[in-house]
Amino acid sequence: MKAFIAALLLGAASSALACGYCVEDKIASAYDHALVAKSLGMRHHVAFYHLDGPLKASDATKRALLSAAESVPGVDKGSVRVSLDTLTIAFAFDPKRTSLVAAQSALDKKLATRKVSLFPMRVIERPGELKEIAQR
Amino acid sequence: MNGLHKLGAGLLAAASIGGCGPSGAPDAYDVSKMDLKPVPAKVSAERHKGAFAEGASLSMGAALKPLDPSPVKTVRLDTTHKIIEIAPGVKFSAWTFGDTVPGPTVRARVGDRIKFSMTNRSDEPVPGVRVTAAPMMHSMDFHAAMVSPQDKYRSIAPGQTIEFEFTLNYPGIFMYHCGTPMILEHIASGMYGAVVVEPRNGYPTRADREYVVIQSEFYAKLDPRKQKVGGAPLYVLDTERLRAAQPTHTVFNGVHNGMVKDPLPAKTGERVRIHVLNVGPSKTSSFHVVGTIFDRVWFEGNPDNQMRGMQTVLLGSSNSATVEFMIPEDGSYIMVDHHFANASQGAIGLVSTSAKPPAQDLEHHNIPASATPTDPDAVAGKLAFESKCLACHSVGGGRKLGPDVAGVTKRRSKDWLARWLKEPEKMLQTDADAKAMLKEYNNLPMPNQSLGDAEIRQYLKYFEWIDAQPAGSLKPAAAGH
Repeated sequence: MKAFIAALLLGAASSALACGYCVEDKIASAYDHALVAKSLGMRHHVAFYHLDGPLKASDATKRALLSAAESVPGVDKGSVRVSLDTLTIAFAFDPKRTSLVAAQSALDKKLATRKVSLFPMRVIERPGELKEIAQR
Repeated sequence: MNGLHKLGAGLLAAASIGGCGPSGAPDAYDVSKMDLKPVPAKVSAERHKGAFAEGASLSMGAALKPLDPSPVKTVRLDTTHKIIEIAPGVKFSAWTFGDTVPGPTVRARVGDRIKFSMTNRSDEPVPGVRVTAAPMMHSMDFHAAMVSPQDKYRSIAPGQTIEFEFTLNYPGIFMYHCGTPMILEHIASGMYGAVVVEPRNGYPTRADREYVVIQSEFYAKLDPRKQKVGGAPLYVLDTERLRAAQPTHTVFNGVHNGMVKDPLPAKTGERVRIHVLNVGPSKTSSFHVVGTIFDRVWFEGNPDNQMRGMQTVLLGSSNSATVEFMIPEDGSYIMVDHHFANASQGAIGLVSTSAKPPAQDLEHHNIPASATPTDPDAVAGKLAFESKCLACHSVGGGRKLGPDVAGVTKRRSKDWLARWLKEPEKMLQTDADAKAMLKEYNNLPMPNQSLGDAEIRQYLKYFEWIDAQPAGSLKPAAAGH
């Protein structure tokens, strides 16, 4: 899987995961409908990112990612979902407290110490919508 | 080589690649004539609220409807989560296309255009306490299509709708399935079906009956949260068994022994055509019909891949075949996966000249009793008994090679039965009752079935359930050699 993702990234370095099929599959691996329904009910948004970097598939890695994302101002506590199989992270945030760009930037900085960076994929702002996140 | 020869060779090569076979006949698979024009898929937040499956080309169940002549076929298969009964007393948390497992069969012809739409309705409210799986993303992968998977087969979230279209370029029996990771789990949970694509000019033979049989595996375990459905325990996907490819049920058309209870009708002298698809996800099928020979086998459902006079057809996961055979005389012809480990898990059905199947002579196979237990151990014991024991024992049908098991818990103690099931050969040397029974049954010893303690407990639960039923409420279950 990692080799596949690595190959995918090599092929899509400039277009940031242009392979929509893989993007939606990765989103599916971190998609939690209860979280999405609850977040949208509070008018919060749910963002999905690809994790790029040397991540070891372990509980410790997962805990570190969860902790890093939850410590970003505006990100909802208990909303972070991580799939190390597909290297995907998702979190809900309050758009009145932070913007998507600001949340992503803050998390990127926290993950930089682990040599991990975020590739934006999709954000859910309304029911039934998976909106593409514009590149910064 | 002179110029004329070069020209001739060039023309021959062009003909072979372009539009004609070596004989000069038009090539039915001429790619230059195939419709490969892409139309981008459309994903929207418009939720469809009508029927879960729609389209004149759809058939529900085994009987295949005649071809809808329309060259453009509108097909809707929405995804749902629902509880299905895969075996008596086994209520399984399934994920579906069109609210059925398998999903409806699409019938079309080469050259037809399929206009497909699907709403992910896995989040749809259900009455009462929700026991189905949590809503999740799903997708559709049509093996009959030649399209970009990145565009057409993308996963959609609950509440979303995807629409795309494609033209059928090859005849065959093609699988469709959900392609969202983990694909294995989506298929094992019920998200599959068949597309029957006739050759452009129809099949070369005329069949009197036409059916679709889809073989699949289920990997079920009791819900760890111990949820119930109508008083019966809920079963959920056993992912450990799934990864180890150790199914609990292997079935035709979604139900353990389903077409034994409801045989496919046929008459003597008729030609029956069955489109068989093995969706797996992990086992092969050795499809056989007891009592007849396949006059024709079209591997993958394409008459160009023809074999004659076949006894079985071997199908890997996602392989298919169309088989045709004659019904030589009145009787019940047994469809079976001749990998008998699979058959014993429920991959059995009948093609019968009588409305009701006979309650005997089914070559070691299973006939379900009219009543069924709900206790999970008793259910497992019943399935195991019907797989391994019916050849020699009946349930309320009298003695056969061995005793009738009805009343056995009243004749023997639980401890005695447990020891007998565990080590019959040892009991025959040491136990007076066992020795007497051997003599009574013509010195035919019961073979040691190598049962574990858990299996023995399941057998005993089933025997206790049998003996707790009101007198006369059980249909005698039997199977003969």
